[in-house]
Amino acid sequence: MKLRPDIVGISLILVLAPFWLPLVHGYEALGTRVLVLGLAAMSLNFLLGFTGVLSFGHAAYFGLGAYGCGFALKYLAPSTPLAILCGMLLGTIAGALLGALIVRRRGVYFAMVTIAFGQVFYFIAFRWNTLTGGDDGLRGFSRQPIDLGFTTINIADNLTALYYFVLVCFAIAVGLMGLLLRSPFGRTLLAIRENERRARFLGLPIEQHIWLSFVISCAFMSMAGALYALLNNFADPKGLHYTQSGDFVIMAVLGGMRSFWGPLLGAAVFVVLQDSLSSMTTNWQSWIGVMFVIVVLFFPRGLLGFLRRKSQA
Amino acid sequence: MVQSGNRGIIRRRRVLQVGAGIGALQFASPFIIQARGEQSVKIGMIDPLTGAYAAVARSEVEGAKLALDQVNAKGGILGRKVELLVEDSANDVGIGVQKARKLIEGSGANFIFGDVNSAIALAVAQVTAEKKVLHIVTGGHSDAVTGTDCHWNVFRVCNSTVMDGNAIAGVLMSKFGKKWYFLTPDYAYGHSVQAALVKQLEAAGGKWQGSLTPIGTPDYSALLIKAKAYKPDVIVNVMGGGDQVNSIKQYVQFGLAKQIPMGGTLFEYESVAALPDDARSGWWTYEWYWNQPKTPHVADFVAEVKKRTNQVATARHWFGYVGVHTVALVSNQEKTLEAPKLAKALEGFKLPPEVALTPNPAIYRAGDHQLMSDVFVGQAHPKKAGGDPNDFFEVTDVVPGEKAAGPVAGCVLKYPA
Repeated sequence: MKLRPDIVGISLILVLAPFWLPLVHGYEALGTRVLVLGLAAMSLNFLLGFTGVLSFGHAAYFGLGAYGCGFALKYLAPSTPLAILCGMLLGTIAGALLGALIVRRRGVYFAMVTIAFGQVFYFIAFRWNTLTGGDDGLRGFSRQPIDLGFTTINIADNLTALYYFVLVCFAIAVGLMGLLLRSPFGRTLLAIRENERRARFLGLPIEQHIWLSFVISCAFMSMAGALYALLNNFADPKGLHYTQSGDFVIMAVLGGMRSFWGPLLGAAVFVVLQDSLSSMTTNWQSWIGVMFVIVVLFFPRGLLGFLRRKSQA
Repeated sequence: MVQSGNRGIIRRRRVLQVGAGIGALQFASPFIIQARGEQSVKIGMIDPLTGAYAAVARSEVEGAKLALDQVNAKGGILGRKVELLVEDSANDVGIGVQKARKLIEGSGANFIFGDVNSAIALAVAQVTAEKKVLHIVTGGHSDAVTGTDCHWNVFRVCNSTVMDGNAIAGVLMSKFGKKWYFLTPDYAYGHSVQAALVKQLEAAGGKWQGSLTPIGTPDYSALLIKAKAYKPDVIVNVMGGGDQVNSIKQYVQFGLAKQIPMGGTLFEYESVAALPDDARSGWWTYEWYWNQPKTPHVADFVAEVKKRTNQVATARHWFGYVGVHTVALVSNQEKTLEAPKLAKALEGFKLPPEVALTPNPAIYRAGDHQLMSDVFVGQAHPKKAGGDPNDFFEVTDVVPGEKAAGPVAGCVLKYPA
């Protein structure tokens, strides 16, 4: 098998992050946050960039993953892998049920319905005080060390260990997404994205494919949400809000939604800008907005598309 | 593997680019090391400078800066200069937690302040407890902060929702009567304030009805008609933010203000100031009020805030101000920056009058680390002809903090071994 230079490069950057981050005024929690939000943006992009439908309510599944993870740690058992699994289950089941109702809509109607369903979960989390903690958020749980049998990885106190744990989860998720996209199923999704009518005339079951893509996207999204809950030891209703969905869309478009790694770059730029600009000015959101507008106007393929074209020129 | 010539060129360029990048890093790193070498004491303040709470958060930061300059003018903390590092939490728990780690691990903050948003305050408290950093919650009102989710290292300056509820309950009952109608926002904050008020009311033998309203309700006409039909002695409005402003405006527009009095808990100065003059009405609590002619040092504080920001000093300025003075006073008294020792020393710590700025003494309670400070109960009113244009409120009762707070509830403090 040939080694792909982009994968090797990104792996090296990510694996060595704890060593070079302090040199550029970074810290591990920031790196972990980039990974988690990058995974979320890439999951959204599975649907947006590779199936061609825009979900504006994906924060709901992100938040459900976070709450599912928190519930499992708080009420079920103190086990981190179980918690991630529970978070993914909650988000995926919700995605599968609602996806079945949504997939027949297209374009702006698809986006509107996803927002509406997303807000349903937001208000449930916001108002069900006894279960979710309401506006104060779900707390009183904490990530647990991982017992591998022969050794324990202390992700509870050691942030470097947490970073590598999240990186492993990220790698598994991204690897699976990459494999899926290279499979005949993935090619079919591209065909639907390029020309839905033609794909339909070829006899492809469009709705089933979009539904499956939606569910896969929700599964990885809720995994990102579960990891986010572990990172913060907290789940809050704002993680389900449509503004959070908007942030994910911005990350995907900023980095380049037609490329596999684009959303990761978008998330990195977004998170780092958010972190550094907001320490300097309270108007940091306008700067991110300006950057978003510039990217959309002048680099329609996103930052990664722009960099690629430059290196090929 | 055969490489085409074209690829080779790209590679060479990449090498040059990476080299230049590494070179640039060499310029960056000495500054970082220099910053670490400075021996200033750092206070990290996390507040939602953008979003719904931006106005009140900025007031807290201004108050903290004022206290910072005063502390530095008197020699700082342990003879070291004090620095205030302000970070925006953007009203988002994830960002707030990340900023807490940035301040503690990246900048080496000795103290953490914040946040206005209770959820962020609770989440950041978990980080500060883990990192053993003294944490002052300046402006998050949820009961959980000094209740079920209290921590050994967390102290709160602003009141809990229960304190505000208890303070106004007695005043409303004695002034108007024991038949109440509630307008309550349907989420955690509203529920807990209503529960506190109902407990007081029922203990005194009163009766009540109420409506739970969704957040962001624009039209209160139906609710106000229902309220009027119940013929209550007082309408209790525990809405927050824009909902509070809207519901009061409509209450005044419908002419109800002349028939049934309205009361409630918090009505922050920032919100009242934003109202049109004729909508300033009702009975409310303030956690601190600027117009205290008989309390020493208050006038100086108000003048200083006015000079710096051209604004009237509000409770939020006072929170930030009290927070900075608290950590400076206790550190200089104990001659240490170690959080467990400082936390122990703060239990039962009494603020000096020039910091407390209240008629009765303000003390951090040992049982739950809540500051016991006076609650100002009174009536909002339009600007008075010939009066101070910034005076919208007449304080009628000052309820001492211990009386408002009641016994410690739900908090078990666990110090690290």
